[in-house]
Amino acid sequence: MAQLSSGAALILRHIDYGEADRIVTFLTPEQGLMKGFARAARKSRKRFGASLEPFSRVNLSWSEGRGALCSLRDAELIDARTALRADLRCFALACYGVELTEIVLHDASSQPEIYLLLNAYLDHLVTATDTETARLLFEVRLVQLLGYIPHLLHCSDCFGPLGTDLVVFDVSRGGSLCDLCSGGHPPLRVQAGTLGSLARSLRTPVDRFAGFRFGETTLSEGRHLIDSVLALTLSHQPKSLDLIDKIRLPPGP
Amino acid sequence: MIGSLPSFDRLVAELSKLPGIGGKTATRLAFHLLRASREDSQALAEAVLEMRQKVRFCSNCFHVTEADPCTICTDPARDETRICIVQEPQDLLAIERSHAFRGRYHVLHGVLSPLDGIGPDDLKIAPLLNRLKREPVEEILLATNFTVEGEATALYLSGLVKPLGVRLTRLAHGIPTGSDLEYIDAATVQQAVDSRREY
Repeated sequence: MAQLSSGAALILRHIDYGEADRIVTFLTPEQGLMKGFARAARKSRKRFGASLEPFSRVNLSWSEGRGALCSLRDAELIDARTALRADLRCFALACYGVELTEIVLHDASSQPEIYLLLNAYLDHLVTATDTETARLLFEVRLVQLLGYIPHLLHCSDCFGPLGTDLVVFDVSRGGSLCDLCSGGHPPLRVQAGTLGSLARSLRTPVDRFAGFRFGETTLSEGRHLIDSVLALTLSHQPKSLDLIDKIRLPPGP
Repeated sequence: MIGSLPSFDRLVAELSKLPGIGGKTATRLAFHLLRASREDSQALAEAVLEMRQKVRFCSNCFHVTEADPCTICTDPARDETRICIVQEPQDLLAIERSHAFRGRYHVLHGVLSPLDGIGPDDLKIAPLLNRLKREPVEEILLATNFTVEGEATALYLSGLVKPLGVRLTRLAHGIPTGSDLEYIDAATVQQAVDSRREY
């Protein structure tokens, strides 16, 4: 008989398969990113109910399946995060967080900190008023957990101190650059204060979002900075960015 | 695959493209057709071709139809002041089976699904807004599914429709008729309690 496993999980997405089945992508703290086959999930409300909806935190039971898919046995819903459906921007940002996580994690390996980060991000979006700060915080921490965080507070070339005003940032050269090392045409200039704010946010626990509020400059420069890091890191651009951009525009026919 | 029977293999390959049909089922279906009478196979082939030839989407509501506009859009007995918005033609049929709604419909052909790259421009939202300009619509009933994507789509549409001064309603959701409360999942019970009404 196939060995049964169970534990906490975050549902990232599902796709319908066949008459009434679903293939579910989920994140667990101990086994990382996994995919499971939920037989008759669309028809039977008994075993899965609404538990397999994206963003849900659940207790899942599964056994080894055929190939790369495990076989989902049942799910107990802990938090459906239904409030994310009541705000389009929060919904789009939750989709983005889930998609980003899925892109950067390729296999089933232990990812307890990334699990903590995504869980806290989704929790925070439910009540967040400053969603831009939440997004930037999530991205910077994710990049750090993956080991791709660029040098922020010292020169990535000579490891010397940076200037006190505008700092050259070139992700292809490892991050911040001092005046001596920068040379040529700098791709991006950011305030030293922005780098300081981002670096400070990385010293706090990954699951702490409440109480953070980046200023306008940090948000704007931090966005350019993290976008350049993600462009270099990700295999492809997240699709959910399209909706985030669209709902910034005023609605119209 | 049976290498010596290319026509058989071709049929199996075509049947395998249908949703929910894998290689084994496709082979079983192909053997069934092989054993069936020639007339039955011919009728099936003709039915597929005829359906593809005649059935299209209504240019007004985007439901499947053989006549454009469809019979629902041209039925004078229908209440033209009410439009029910559904995700797919199958959802329209489900509401029609209930006989609970006698207005007209608009089929979106999907829902917002950022994770799959499906945005507002991929749905029949612009034609809906055009309908609202030219038809005397007083109420929009949002009947997208109660999934994360369905709810987000309803929310997006409400942002577009509310400023037009049209009454906006949403299907109620909660405990299914004929079911026992003890077997209902927690999320559904929570929604039913939240959406309780005077009795």
